[in-house]
Amino acid sequence: MSGMKPSQSIPDFEEINSPEFLEMLLAKGPTGQRAFARMVQGTHDRFLGFIRRQLPSQEECLEVLQEVYLAVHKGLPGFAGKSKLTTWIYSLAHHKICDRIADRDRGHKELTESREGSRSTENAGTDRWSGITSWDAPPDRLMARNAVEGLIGKAVEALPGPAREVYRLRDLEGLSGEEAAEILGITPENVRVQLHRARRQIVDWVQEKMAGVRNAKEPQAGGRGSET
Amino acid sequence: MSGLFYKVTYPCDKVRDFMYDYLDGNLPTVTAIRFHLHLNGCAQCREYLFLYKKAANAKEFRKEHPAPDALLASTLGFLEKEGVTGPEDDAPEEPFPKGNP
Ligand SMILES: [Zn+2]
Repeated sequence: MSGMKPSQSIPDFEEINSPEFLEMLLAKGPTGQRAFARMVQGTHDRFLGFIRRQLPSQEECLEVLQEVYLAVHKGLPGFAGKSKLTTWIYSLAHHKICDRIADRDRGHKELTESREGSRSTENAGTDRWSGITSWDAPPDRLMARNAVEGLIGKAVEALPGPAREVYRLRDLEGLSGEEAAEILGITPENVRVQLHRARRQIVDWVQEKMAGVRNAKEPQAGGRGSET
Repeated sequence: MSGLFYKVTYPCDKVRDFMYDYLDGNLPTVTAIRFHLHLNGCAQCREYLFLYKKAANAKEFRKEHPAPDALLASTLGFLEKEGVTGPEDDAPEEPFPKGNP
């Protein structure tokens, strides 16, 4: 594989975030280049997964990730370890994704304006979801594996923008409140508020869907006590 | 459930708002006792807590298959072309160089 050095182990996030690794990355010549290649090997799948959960096509995701790595390379001399290196990369990826989504929404708006009224909202929702999940498994397979987990995945898509971004970084990527705050440019307290709101909205959404399924299974089951 | 139950413990909505701090282990002792009392007597909030925990632990069931090697190779090739990672200047030499008949 191009650039692969089998003799050197693939670094984990902890090693990548160490001052020693940053020093190697900043070194001129082959040392810096090798360190960069190792950093890519150690972060590629994780960041590709992060991007893939938000953008639909594999090609676009790979393109965005490559842009992110280029931006990392350009920005490294000014980075100076102000935060964790991986938090900074998340931040770059987050902004690139936002740019892509904004571009796509602009294009989508122009397209829908020219074909006004030709699509139903229900279909639009389904398209969006199938795009998001196709990386991992088709939605029906997710549902079969575990209905609740599948529903949570869908509920994330129904969240409003800010809550969804916070939820993705905190509960899906597992970043700390401070890291999420830094990436999104908001306070940790705001992260806390948005995250709780997101979780509650997810649970409400899932319960609503589960109630729908229960009602469909027991259409005439009157007389059941309903506690509130 | 009687109105007294909700007075002694909490209304359901309040219990659900405590779930964030409960998972973080940040509920003050007295609040935690009333929180647990409520959960003991309220099946809806128990189900709610189960789902809330699931939502908070989504990382554990996030489906993450490793990306195909070809994608990493593509990125490394791209970065090499951009001069970021450089050629494999110190790669071990191939024992049998190609190209000879
Ligand atoms: Zn309750």
